[in-house]
Amino acid sequence: MRTAKSKGLALCPKCHKVNKVVSEPIQCSRCMGSFYQRKYNSLQYTFAWNLAALLAFIPANLYPIMVVYQLGVPKEATILSGIGEFIDHGLYPIAVIIFTASIIVPLMKIIGLFVLVYKVHTGMRLKPNKHSKIYHILEFLGPWSMLDVFVVALMVTIVELGFVTSVAAGPAINYFTITVIFTMFAANSFDPRLLWDKKEIQSKEKNALKTT
Amino acid sequence: MTQKKQPKQWVACQQCDALFDKPLLKQGQSAKCTRCGSVLVERKVDSIERSFHWSLAGLILMLPAILLPLMGVTLAGQHHQASLFDCVLVLIERDFFMIASLLFLFAIAVPIVRLSGALYLSYSFKFNRLKPSLLNFFRAYHHLDHWAMLNVFMLGIVVSMYKLLDDTELSVNLGLLSFILWLVCSTMASAALDQDYIWEELEQAFLEPNTTDEIA
Repeated sequence: MRTAKSKGLALCPKCHKVNKVVSEPIQCSRCMGSFYQRKYNSLQYTFAWNLAALLAFIPANLYPIMVVYQLGVPKEATILSGIGEFIDHGLYPIAVIIFTASIIVPLMKIIGLFVLVYKVHTGMRLKPNKHSKIYHILEFLGPWSMLDVFVVALMVTIVELGFVTSVAAGPAINYFTITVIFTMFAANSFDPRLLWDKKEIQSKEKNALKTT
Repeated sequence: MTQKKQPKQWVACQQCDALFDKPLLKQGQSAKCTRCGSVLVERKVDSIERSFHWSLAGLILMLPAILLPLMGVTLAGQHHQASLFDCVLVLIERDFFMIASLLFLFAIAVPIVRLSGALYLSYSFKFNRLKPSLLNFFRAYHHLDHWAMLNVFMLGIVVSMYKLLDDTELSVNLGLLSFILWLVCSTMASAALDQDYIWEELEQAFLEPNTTDEIA
């Protein structure tokens, strides 16, 4: 397959102009932005952001995310116990949405990106077609985990009836937003073209072995 | 043959880096990468007109969407309602600075900046007022690609409405309607903007025909 890299060309990530590579970082001749042929230190950055997101995800689940005051009595709820409450009240669709957005999606994103980084690094059982699709799904799902944060923000503002009921946000909300933003950074710093590069190298090595 | 005299142009796939000759597309057509199947280039129909009108509508709807109350609750005779902007103010008042700033950024600031950016770009194209500074402007516009979260906020509204319906009386206000329309407008405005077309036009207007295209 003919790739831009093999021809000594590089695609500008901002304006999608194909530039000639002279020295890195390359300055785009169209939009004047500077960029690298592949995202700079992509795997390291992805791994680091991902690790940070995973660490922040632990306190996000342990601390309460929302505190409901009813007649002055505080009742704390973590992400998981909040979901349990929905199930108790019979609000299954909401329980499923919140569970997907705030537990499954961040975890899938973190695990998925770790797997992708590992696959590119070692080249084990690499299927670029399938893996780049997975990467797309992960990238698309990113912002949707902010759902819980927005729900808490809305609840805090709207349920403010003085002594009767009021809602406050718990410390977990900060950790949770950090998790979401860091996973978004991680997904942005991963470069799916590395998957194809690695595959190309592998198939070349295979051919070289066959001929000798 | 005039076409042969033009320098050869390349396109590369953003996802897998495969290199192709630049296809000639009509409006509404798109080219897909043969290796990974993602869209290489796309010519959107009537891009400038559409993004101009959508973003103009979005900017008009912005004020009611942000300032009118989204919804209100009534419990034990007390009534309370809040708009999107109130959300930010209340969160600041109660010292939740982090969510306040994130809410402001992702649900107010970024969508507004993107809408006005799209309006400015399509305005300059529509009335032929291209300036070299647009090159920098459009590049900066791309930085915000991932960070508008109006759609997520909308789902947040739906979820919290469900939550509140359980034990309070909920009332829906005009703010919600204008918020939904604002969401539609900003989504359509950014979907209608044809980036490849804009970059090509800008390049032809301000830059010398490029030497990088001629290597074959």
